[in-house]
Amino acid sequence: MDTSAEVLALIGVGVLLTSLFLQSESFVDPLINGIALQSLLLGVLLGWLAWTEHSVDLALLAGLTVAVRAVVIPYVLRRQIRAFRWRIREVHAANRVTGHALAAVAAAIVAWFVFQQTLAPSFPETGAALPFVLLVQGLLMLATRSNTLVQVMGYLEEENAIVYAGALFASAFPLFVEVVIFLDVLGVVLVGVILSIQRDVTGTPEEVVLEELSG
Amino acid sequence: MIVGPPTATLLYLLLLAPAGSAVLALIPYPGVSKWASRTGALVALAVALVLLAGRADGTWGPYLGLDALSEVFLVMVTGIYATSAWYSEGYLAGVHRPFLTPQIYYALLGAFALAMVATLVVTDLGLMWIGIEATTVASALLVVLERKPTSVEAAWRYTLIASAGLTIALFALLLIYATTGTLDAVTLATDHPALTLPLEMAVALALVGYGTKAGLFPMHTWLPDAHSEAPSPVSAMFSGVLLPTALYAFARVYAILPRPAPAALTDLVLAFGLTTAVVGAFLLQRQRSFKRLLAYSSMEVMGIAVVGIAVGGVALYGALLLLVAHAFAKSASFYCAGNVLRATGTNRVDEVRDLQHRMPRTAGAWVLASFAVTGAPPFGTFLGELLIVAGAVAAGWYWVALVLLLAILVAFLGVNVQIGRMVFGAAPDGSPVAPGTREDRASIAYLNVAVSLAVGVATIPYLSTAIRAAASLLGGSVP
Repeated sequence: MDTSAEVLALIGVGVLLTSLFLQSESFVDPLINGIALQSLLLGVLLGWLAWTEHSVDLALLAGLTVAVRAVVIPYVLRRQIRAFRWRIREVHAANRVTGHALAAVAAAIVAWFVFQQTLAPSFPETGAALPFVLLVQGLLMLATRSNTLVQVMGYLEEENAIVYAGALFASAFPLFVEVVIFLDVLGVVLVGVILSIQRDVTGTPEEVVLEELSG
Repeated sequence: MIVGPPTATLLYLLLLAPAGSAVLALIPYPGVSKWASRTGALVALAVALVLLAGRADGTWGPYLGLDALSEVFLVMVTGIYATSAWYSEGYLAGVHRPFLTPQIYYALLGAFALAMVATLVVTDLGLMWIGIEATTVASALLVVLERKPTSVEAAWRYTLIASAGLTIALFALLLIYATTGTLDAVTLATDHPALTLPLEMAVALALVGYGTKAGLFPMHTWLPDAHSEAPSPVSAMFSGVLLPTALYAFARVYAILPRPAPAALTDLVLAFGLTTAVVGAFLLQRQRSFKRLLAYSSMEVMGIAVVGIAVGGVALYGALLLLVAHAFAKSASFYCAGNVLRATGTNRVDEVRDLQHRMPRTAGAWVLASFAVTGAPPFGTFLGELLIVAGAVAAGWYWVALVLLLAILVAFLGVNVQIGRMVFGAAPDGSPVAPGTREDRASIAYLNVAVSLAVGVATIPYLSTAIRAAASLLGGSVP
């Protein structure tokens, strides 16, 4: 394995470990640190690829990833925690962290197996299965968590998966930088606007039953 | 083929009209936002009709283009945008403590329409994806207009679930690009790249991704919440044109497959469509809110349209007819629902009675629109659903036809019985609707119902021809 492949594999494993950590944590503050670390690792990976491939687009993506998903959005999320003290821990998830962690590991293995069976022959790049695994982890987080801040992190993890996949096996994807900027805008809208409205309008935990939205 | 400068100019104008209206709507001067929105919407509709009549199909530059399919959808989108822009004034006047000012509301309405129009006039699958994602950004805040905790929750679910689905669609596009080296929809649909496992997986992922936005089961959970909590003119745009626009994006991806499409993928699309139709039809039976009832009805119709795409042949033509007729009929239903909601202050079916005397114009339009959305003859939806069932029978899929007929019947009864109770049921004492209640712009609902009817009974100049051409373009056949 050459140096570049080793670097990609090493950072890829780091990204995977952060995703498993995110699944097994119920306190929101460490979760924010986890997603920031994952985004930082991804930024380093993109920076490495930009350097080895002399790609301006990848360098831009690296900068965006670090600036928006490792710094700005985690900062906004921390402010949200200060505004919503009851969101500091996901109450229901606290009793189920072991289950979440086991489900995350199982999902990772299944996603890796599916990738090997279907896509691996066409994508021989080092760690090509990891973005697919990361995408599944993000979806799992969105599906199994009820705390809105944790759901935002599931969304960010999905976005990290897309950027990771684009950089690994479709780096010439047209308008990819623009697409990522768009996803970031949506992320900011999610955390910055709708959560603020939620505070202004409801000011109550998600656990409050919204009778009208049943059925 | 490259379109001429006049068509290109019209394409730019089509984008500029809603964009301009969105910008001008922000001017904080009484009445400007309303008229900017109406004018922009009418200009966009006029341009869409001119393009439909001209049928100058082709591409312009690397990213813009038109064909029969996009022209049909453009008429739908701009038509519903125009009627929603016109209907909004009366509705907004009745909203107590709106979260958005009229300026912001009309600006977002324009941006929402712009995102859908942009999706339809681009030839690049990546840009198409951006257009669909932009609809989420533009419309999420519109859901919160009425400042209710349920609205905020609905907006949250909508944004999160739709975005999660669309990241899957983006992953599909990455696979397509990595496999074929292009995202140009025209090239891909013409050349049909070699069928590989990654390409098949990409189409399956696109079905899940865009299907989330189109409200397909089991990714539909955002749909009833957002439709019921959004202001009625926005619900009309959600149900009438946003869901079909997401299906349009999927149809563009599906069109890259060689014909006939691989059996496994056809079965997958069929399974999603049938399940959605059946689940939607049965879920709407137990709805207590009339807006959620309409939302589940839209889910059922999208399921039937997806079955039409999977079956192909004449069913594909039926699916297009169904989508066009449903867009106008369902928007009419939501306008009527908006009038009733404003007059009664409730969205509960059980709390609304005797509309035939209390709101006669709205009641009449609502009964007609309900028949139209549930596929009663002679509306266009009936013809569309009939062709889809006939297509399934012709393909030898009798069980598909049977299941479809069951879903159609169940939905027909579910919607019309509930609407019938509200319109013809005797009013209990203390009913909140006073006789002579103002009925804002019920005529708009009648107009849209008339379009839905015309699609079924008449050959509409240019539109009928374009629908036939669009069906052929996607590999379908025309009776």
